[in-house]
Amino acid sequence: MKRLLAFKSALWFVVGAAAVIATLRFWNGLGATTALTDLTPWGFWIGFDVTGGVALAAGGFVTAFAVYVLHLDRYHAIVRPAVLTAFLGYLAVVVALLFDLGLPWNIWHMIIFWNPKSPLFEVGWCVMLYTAVLSLEFGPVVLEPSRHPTLQKLYRLLKKATIPLVILGIMLSTLHQSSLGSLFLIMPHRLHPLWYTPMLPVLFFISAIGLALMMVTTESLVSSYLYELEPETELLQGLGKVGAWVLSSYALVKLVDVALRGRLDQLFAGTFSSNLFVAEMLVSAIIPAALLFIPAIRKKPSGLAVAAFLAVGGFVLNRLNVSGIATIESTGTRYVPSWMEVVVSLGVVAGAALVYFFVAEHFNLFHVGRIDKERFRYQLPGFDPRSGVINADPYTGGFASYSIMAVLGGALALALVPASALGETPIPPRPVTAPGFGEEIIIDGDRAAEAVLFNHQEHVDMEDGNCASCHHLLRPREQATGCSRCHRDMNLKTSIFDHTLHIARLKKGPGCVACHSDIDRPKDLAHSKPCLECHTGMIPEGAAIRPRDRSRLALAPGYTTAMHGLCIGCHEKVSKDMDSKVNRLDQCATCHTGKERALDPMNPDVR
Amino acid sequence: MKAILTDITKCIGCNECVKACTETNGLGEERAYRWRADDGLSSERYTSVLRKKGFHVRKQCRHCLEPACVSACPVGALKKTPEGAVIYDDSRCLGCRYCMMACPFGIPRYLWSSPVPYVRKCTMCYTTRLTRGQQPACTEACPVEATIFGERDALLSEARRRISDNPRLYLPKVFGEHEVGGTAVLYLSPIELDFLSLGNRLDERPMPERTMLAMAVVPPVFLGMGALMGGIYWVIERRRRLQKEKPAEKADNSDGSSDK
Repeated sequence: MKRLLAFKSALWFVVGAAAVIATLRFWNGLGATTALTDLTPWGFWIGFDVTGGVALAAGGFVTAFAVYVLHLDRYHAIVRPAVLTAFLGYLAVVVALLFDLGLPWNIWHMIIFWNPKSPLFEVGWCVMLYTAVLSLEFGPVVLEPSRHPTLQKLYRLLKKATIPLVILGIMLSTLHQSSLGSLFLIMPHRLHPLWYTPMLPVLFFISAIGLALMMVTTESLVSSYLYELEPETELLQGLGKVGAWVLSSYALVKLVDVALRGRLDQLFAGTFSSNLFVAEMLVSAIIPAALLFIPAIRKKPSGLAVAAFLAVGGFVLNRLNVSGIATIESTGTRYVPSWMEVVVSLGVVAGAALVYFFVAEHFNLFHVGRIDKERFRYQLPGFDPRSGVINADPYTGGFASYSIMAVLGGALALALVPASALGETPIPPRPVTAPGFGEEIIIDGDRAAEAVLFNHQEHVDMEDGNCASCHHLLRPREQATGCSRCHRDMNLKTSIFDHTLHIARLKKGPGCVACHSDIDRPKDLAHSKPCLECHTGMIPEGAAIRPRDRSRLALAPGYTTAMHGLCIGCHEKVSKDMDSKVNRLDQCATCHTGKERALDPMNPDVR
Repeated sequence: MKAILTDITKCIGCNECVKACTETNGLGEERAYRWRADDGLSSERYTSVLRKKGFHVRKQCRHCLEPACVSACPVGALKKTPEGAVIYDDSRCLGCRYCMMACPFGIPRYLWSSPVPYVRKCTMCYTTRLTRGQQPACTEACPVEATIFGERDALLSEARRRISDNPRLYLPKVFGEHEVGGTAVLYLSPIELDFLSLGNRLDERPMPERTMLAMAVVPPVFLGMGALMGGIYWVIERRRRLQKEKPAEKADNSDGSSDK
């Protein structure tokens, strides 16, 4: 009982942490908490929670098939836990999907907007229907103890409907377990050729059956360990025997498929992906199958546990590989899930586990009947005043201690989240970088691709020291304002008017009426005083460029437009003059020589 | 069907198309977000000009004739219009990002920073210009006609004419004529344009065809599985009933549910 309480406390801790991260995910968007990028839009939540979760929950339909369709009555003892695991598994998948979807409140759109060509559409419908079927399959367990006549009627009705429900559940499971593989058929460009095969749906289906057997074994062993029950070794070894056959057929189909596609040579190519493929095959199928074929191993709980854990881990790895890890080489983008993604995933699993324990303690889940809660009643902490000893039990269960664990988990998560997840570091738009000043200036506003080498001194000499020719607009109290001070974005027009600054300067003096002279008109640009009425020295004498609308100086064109507009006019004029020393001045390549390297964006001052 | 032809040899890299696109679609400022790819496309930029081997190559949505994104979207938020543009409907999207995974060119981008995120990509200016009889902003803005708009057939023959007029300048194929079943954005280029696709492994088979078979067998598998399960259940159930009726004759044989 100590183990159960400790385990439950740990689960509550994880749930608390996940709740905090989940809140941040909805508050600040997917980008803040996940490591997803434009080129890796699916990550851990799809790979583990959705494709992995659905496969892990396959135990429901496989055991139901064995007991109700094949009439293997001796497995009846494990039907209820298996169906519950499946039901909670599907609920966990749906919850995790709600975190991953960008617009989860639109999930119902799948019901009214149809696209039957999309495998995801089919998976969505099947998961939706199968979750409903599972709730009906499991319904009798919850309704059984009730005495209310209506509930009793419903209980008998559901009991009668068991066989049709089970068959419908198998039909739906066959579809979506395989269709999860079909999802990836449209991505031959992403998936490594060892994994990409038209057989993906078939492989997903067979592996779901193998995983189902191993997951039922795992789940049964873990609950008997935690509830201190006798492990159902006799039943489980039967599952193990079937599992050995399923896993080895899976490995065989997979290898034959690789061979038929002529990719056997890649199996031992020694690259990251080929090693990963071999490791996945060994852990998910070959080693567990080999272990389970040996009767001495599969008749011991420890032997079964090792084989089952390996297979479960291996198949989760398989789903992660197909949905992400095996796409790294082709796309060239690396994605490592953020710890926050992992915590949310674990939190969803922990939540499902806690519901499982709740059902085990309140309903007839196991064949031994309801878990007697009295067995787990633990001594409350007490204080003995005579000896001064505190009798505290670290594993004391109960609402308060679980809440404390959850709050602690949440607090730890909140303490650890990076500032970006809290939305505290808005990333500034990419500003234009000012060129370094000197006789020769490297003009490279965006620090990408190439730069233009501009001989400033030469131009000063040409214009006889008249700065205003180029520096056509001056900020207050400046001699020659640099281009990037106003043309702040490479492409976009940017406002050069600072309203806050004007308020600060004018509030003691004339106030708002200084510019918004007619207080009844709207306070917009059209009804305000032109800038030049006050800033008389803004446009210097002899400026070559004159703002199109002299009275309004609000928007500066983008940097590229500004530079081209400034230079090209003169260059074209001068190049027509045949006496000019510089030929081809009207050609792009005269300035954009392609020889000047871009500046390093990380070290603005180093060439 | 409308299309865009971009001639790599003519592009001077002035970025006027990018600017026109940004203004027409009302796109915001670019930010150095963590999730941005290095090809210049983002939720704020639907087109970009890449510099490769001394040439300028404009990247944008290819508006495939049989688009992977359209067949992938579970709610039909992406649509191929009769005019040829592949457009996206904000109000239908549920944010699964399957379109982004399916696109062989890695075009769709996401508003990762927003709590209400949408997919963003070039729509050939469908609602703002195409439906009003205007050409897309990018092709109109190009000062040197490096990227032009027109009927796909007309552009294809124009492209072939340019190749035959100047066979030494171009690679002897129109990029986008056949790849993934053909695209509405065509390129003429003296260099291979592998870098425009994700993973460099495109062939001429349309992407949606790859899931077609798997989707076509769904109804028969569904019904077949039902029939199979019902059949197995019925056979075993019947055998058991018969055994119960004749317990004396088959006393030594077990009920078939356990193997030993």
